[in-house]
Amino acid sequence: MTAATTDRRAEMAALVRTHQAGVWRYLRFLGCDAAEADDLVQETFLAVLRDGFEVRSPAETASYLRTVARNRLLADRRKDRNRPALVDLEAAETVWAQVAGDDGLGDYLAALGECLDRAATPRVRRALTLQYADRASRERIAAELDMAVEGVKTLLRRARAALRECVERRLGQ
Amino acid sequence: MNPENDPRHDELRDRLLEQALAEVLAGAGPPDLTDKILAAAEQPESIPVQQKERVMKKRSRWLKIALPASAACLVLGVMVCLLLPATQSAREAARRASMRSKSERIHGLYDGYPSTGLSFEPRTAEPIRVDYDFDIDEDITRPFVVFGNEYGRGPGRGGDKYDMVVENPFRAVKDHPLSTFSIDVDTASYANVRRFLLGEGRLPPPDAVRIEEMINYFDYDYAGPTDATPLAAHLAVAGCPWRPEHRLVRVALKGKVFPQKERPASNLVFLLDVSGSMDMPDKLPLLKAGMKLLARQMRENDRVAIVVYAGAEGLVLPSTSGANREEILEKLGSLQAGGSTNGGAGIELAYRIAQENFITDGVNRVILCTDGDFNVGTTSTAELTRMVEDRARSGVFLSVLGFGRGNLNDAMMETLSNKGNGNYAYIDTINEARKVLVRQMGATLVTIAKDVKIQVEFNPARVAAYRLIGYENRMLAKEDFNDDKKDAGEIGAGHTVTALYEVVPVGATVETPSVDPLKYQPAAAPGETQESPSPAADASPATDELLTVKLRYKEPNADVSKRLEFPLVDRGASFGQANHDFQFAASVAAAGMLLRNSRYKGTATYDAVLEMATAAKGADPHGYRAEFLKMVHRAKDLAGRSEKSEE
Repeated sequence: MTAATTDRRAEMAALVRTHQAGVWRYLRFLGCDAAEADDLVQETFLAVLRDGFEVRSPAETASYLRTVARNRLLADRRKDRNRPALVDLEAAETVWAQVAGDDGLGDYLAALGECLDRAATPRVRRALTLQYADRASRERIAAELDMAVEGVKTLLRRARAALRECVERRLGQ
Repeated sequence: MNPENDPRHDELRDRLLEQALAEVLAGAGPPDLTDKILAAAEQPESIPVQQKERVMKKRSRWLKIALPASAACLVLGVMVCLLLPATQSAREAARRASMRSKSERIHGLYDGYPSTGLSFEPRTAEPIRVDYDFDIDEDITRPFVVFGNEYGRGPGRGGDKYDMVVENPFRAVKDHPLSTFSIDVDTASYANVRRFLLGEGRLPPPDAVRIEEMINYFDYDYAGPTDATPLAAHLAVAGCPWRPEHRLVRVALKGKVFPQKERPASNLVFLLDVSGSMDMPDKLPLLKAGMKLLARQMRENDRVAIVVYAGAEGLVLPSTSGANREEILEKLGSLQAGGSTNGGAGIELAYRIAQENFITDGVNRVILCTDGDFNVGTTSTAELTRMVEDRARSGVFLSVLGFGRGNLNDAMMETLSNKGNGNYAYIDTINEARKVLVRQMGATLVTIAKDVKIQVEFNPARVAAYRLIGYENRMLAKEDFNDDKKDAGEIGAGHTVTALYEVVPVGATVETPSVDPLKYQPAAAPGETQESPSPAADASPATDELLTVKLRYKEPNADVSKRLEFPLVDRGASFGQANHDFQFAASVAAAGMLLRNSRYKGTATYDAVLEMATAAKGADPHGYRAEFLKMVHRAKDLAGRSEKSEE
């Protein structure tokens, strides 16, 4: 293997490693399920790598990859109209650019982790864990937390609102 | 409309939060597709998979028509000769693709955990039997097969490296009334086992399962000390769930808790491996994210330095006040992997920086982050451990964080952290980094007692035999207990330590190792299986006490140990009467024995573990116990699949 080939491979690997999580999360945000996002991430990077990738700034690269991914997603959806609907793409792009930044949601996830640790009570964390990790029903959450079923919805809604406010404050928004 | 007030934006921000919650709480994050993408990018042809399949089908149809005619036609015959193997090859490729797709679907069942990109491949490859260089009792550890060399095969060879674990046997009290061991607060084995089960969808090798580290991974609600003593002890005994005729004794310690505000000033040196082997998504990027979490906890009177080691060691950031958080984060963010590893030189530089910035009465600690691939320089394990031991005596302790798979030198990292008066954790996800470096930062950084040793004296009037579950590489000679020169484990602020003994009451059948009769002593020799003496037959002095736990520890800066003593009386409680923490710890121990295929697992099954652990899950605010249940479900599935394939 020549030095140029090695360098090229390292460059490709660095591109994929740096941006694949962000592209995947973006596609999930637009409405893809996990398997569809897996496929589209692979197709996006293959298209970019085969077309001859040029190193740009991280922000430009992330934005370019998102555009390629979005176009491939739209092309797929045109072929298969039975798939679930996507979100409003224009609004989604605006929100993603404002909230997720160029690191593919990395800072957002770190801020959310800190807010969960510091701002959420054990009871709220438990309720959120039951909902998002265990996919428990409201009845089960109510039983585990010894509360009325009607109260679970309110507890979770307030918890999400407080977390969103905490995360966005930490991110300076 | 002002975008700030656009209701669509508000909904989308809620959506983003829910997506992030699913990733943080359930691990529903992106898979690592690097290898797949790079492999596909290097293929010369660029026909999409669906198109290839269509081409194959057209060829097959054409062959059905052409084959009869080709019998009379030499040219066509030659074509058939050429095309048939190609078609078979294509069919074989399609079959393999189908199997791969199936394996990916199996892997996809584990969506709750971030994938490492390693898929659970069907057993089409010739399995490699792991060979040891020494004899192993087949009853103690089962052989295992691997696809590749990722489990490691000994010194100087690639792959993960684990020390062999030989389980503690039952010991007769009349021959061995004392059981002595050092505490162990490491949790690396649990996180590593979790990665095997949930991340890679396969059973861990038995030697990767250290049961005490699995038990000690969890928080238990033990009360802390109420006086000046740094430790509180909590003893309990109840029925043994996997051997109803036996008793299960729990010895638990709880370290004094420091409120965050009272945490002593810290002088930390991050010693980071940036060698080529760290250039994997689950290594350097995770390392950087984890250390950023820790850096964000630093205060004005804390200090952080960053030393990296690869081809040559280097000081990336001189010792810097925690107030300069942005500078620390920026330096961490700029790290790149490359070069081979000179771990020894890096450690020397890190210790020198720590010594130069020593904080009296503070926390002085080197935090080594590596996959353990110390492959360049004068870095024999013996030399490194000697150096680490020397520096620990001078007050600079060492913690080790392990990352990644493929080169993981589990054995060396555990040894170094033991000798360096530190702890060893394995970081497989950002959630684990958060647990070790944020939630349990006090326990990870602030040592409240060192050289903590436990010696249990069993009452022969009540106990015929006993077995300590786990702690195999922490066993001490009975003489070591009072020997203050003998090194032992450290306990951090708020740490909990739990040890379980399976106890055979007098009168029950005892299985202890066979010993030849003594030629010059009148005492009767123990048989391989024997009836233990009845309570009346033994005229031992004591009392109702089942046992006495003796504890020795040193203050962090002291050289002389202090001694505590706690007796335990058995009131005959059943397992169901034990509290949730006791039951949960027992369920983890049973799961560990099943994963090791222990000869001592008795009637334990994965279903029984699930029943016990589900009933004892309790509040579980961080979801760690729920995750354990997922692991047990997965282990049950994998063990069942493994048994079927062996049939």
